[in-house]
Amino acid sequence: MPPKSAPAANAAPSSAVQTLWKAYNDSTSDRLKFIDAFLVFLMLSGIVQFAYCVLVTTFPYNAFLSGFGSTVGQFVLTASLRSQVNPENKNEFKDVSPERAFADFALGSIVLHFFVFNFLG
Amino acid sequence: MLSFYSLPLFFLSLAGLLHAKSSDGDSVLVLVENAHKKDFSLFFDDLKEQGYSLTFRAPKDEKPAVVEYDVPAFSHIIILASESKNFAKDITPQSLVEIVSGGTNLLIGLSPKQTPLSSLAAEFSLVLPPPGTPLISFFPERKDPVSVIPIDASLPSTILPAMSPVWFSGVPFAHGNNPRLVPILHAPAESFAADSQGGADVLVDATEKGGEGLWAGSQLSVASGFQAAGGARVTWLGGVDMLSDKFFKKQVSKAKSGNARFAREVSAWTFQESLVLRIDSTTHHLVNSTTPEEHYTTNDNIVFTAHISRFHPKTATWEPYSGIKDLQLEFTMLDPHIRTALPAVAGSPGTYSVTFRAPDRHGVFKFVVDYKRKGWTHLHSSTTVALVPPRHDGYPRFLSAAWPYYAGAISTSVAFFVFSAAWLAGESREGKKAKGGKAQ
Repeated sequence: MPPKSAPAANAAPSSAVQTLWKAYNDSTSDRLKFIDAFLVFLMLSGIVQFAYCVLVTTFPYNAFLSGFGSTVGQFVLTASLRSQVNPENKNEFKDVSPERAFADFALGSIVLHFFVFNFLG
Repeated sequence: MLSFYSLPLFFLSLAGLLHAKSSDGDSVLVLVENAHKKDFSLFFDDLKEQGYSLTFRAPKDEKPAVVEYDVPAFSHIIILASESKNFAKDITPQSLVEIVSGGTNLLIGLSPKQTPLSSLAAEFSLVLPPPGTPLISFFPERKDPVSVIPIDASLPSTILPAMSPVWFSGVPFAHGNNPRLVPILHAPAESFAADSQGGADVLVDATEKGGEGLWAGSQLSVASGFQAAGGARVTWLGGVDMLSDKFFKKQVSKAKSGNARFAREVSAWTFQESLVLRIDSTTHHLVNSTTPEEHYTTNDNIVFTAHISRFHPKTATWEPYSGIKDLQLEFTMLDPHIRTALPAVAGSPGTYSVTFRAPDRHGVFKFVVDYKRKGWTHLHSSTTVALVPPRHDGYPRFLSAAWPYYAGAISTSVAFFVFSAAWLAGESREGKKAKGGKAQ
């Protein structure tokens, strides 16, 4: 099998990405896709803020830290939520129900935003 | 009754007007050999006329003591016993230095002989020529001995106004590099220190050695002042004859000599009558405020004001003085972070004021006024003040440059709420579906 697939990947890399995208669309539930969309949004927001900090100004440095930190922190919490509610990881998180996972996520996020807005100044 | 009391008062006030007073006190101790006392009668009469009370004492007498119970007994001391090799126990170089540190003014006459005063001169950075070599000059041509020299004093200096030539006889001295020394009268350019018998031979010897060991020229002084750290003034004269009746009356090119005037001006400076300043008070406050703050914030605009007075010997009063042109204010934390001119305020005499922005640096700072000019009283004032960073709510907020960060944080929070709402809504729908599925 490996000798067969390797030339195929070399010949058409775009088709591999397409295959990946198709497999993702087919095999991922809507809930996980929704989480992924949120993650992508957070990632883009963080990239924009970091680019602004590097290219324009870091001047209110606390504002940068809290703005960038809020996206990173939210990303980590959301990624944790995703791994806990994924049905494929059921064996890993036997004690954690999806409801419990969401409650942890919500509590963690509220604490995070509390600190972010205190530090935003 | 009224006239009975007011008459003596009137005479007292009149006496106060007539007699100039020193800013430092009127008691003077004169150390002079009893035999030479009458040689200086004109000088002493002049001092008495100025309002000083003179106490005479021979150099070897024990009484009256210079220091009693650790307190200086006299405001000023004149030492005219320049040739005495032995003084009483309380007149030693060490004790005189101590007296000067305590604030007593000294007027000291030297002589070509080696005496305890010669070693005291070294303490004041004055370098004397070898013993037995007075200042001599063959110019201008005159009948007097070569060691009796008329010195031109027509150029005014800080301490001396322009005056007729001054007769001098004694030793010159070179100045060490002590910044507290003030030259009062320089030796003539063509004069040199030599044994008066040897004459010009010393010049020939010195020429062979490339000028080494020759004490000559106008860089030498015959009268120098010294201002101690405590404010006391010490004046060194190369010879006491400058103050003698003989030189007061001696004619120079058919005019009266300047010695009497010289003695008056030098004693006025030494006894702290002239060129005496003091800082009355200093204040500091914020612009648009009048009360001083205990601490200021970085970048505050601060106003610093100093009030300076000068002593007027005619009326014996301190009067506001606005004549200082080069006063400076330093705002220091170890180093001066700000050094700025402190100009006089037009319209209010004696007031010097400046407004400046505090540095962007917090710490314990000092307002320092440090004015040291040769001849004038040294002024020093230092006020400590803390400079603190802004309080937590003292910083600017909602800066336009930070809006991307604000937008990022707000959008994250909004997205979190939207996500949670959608998640919960989806969960309840799924739950219904699951229930529906079970029911089916």
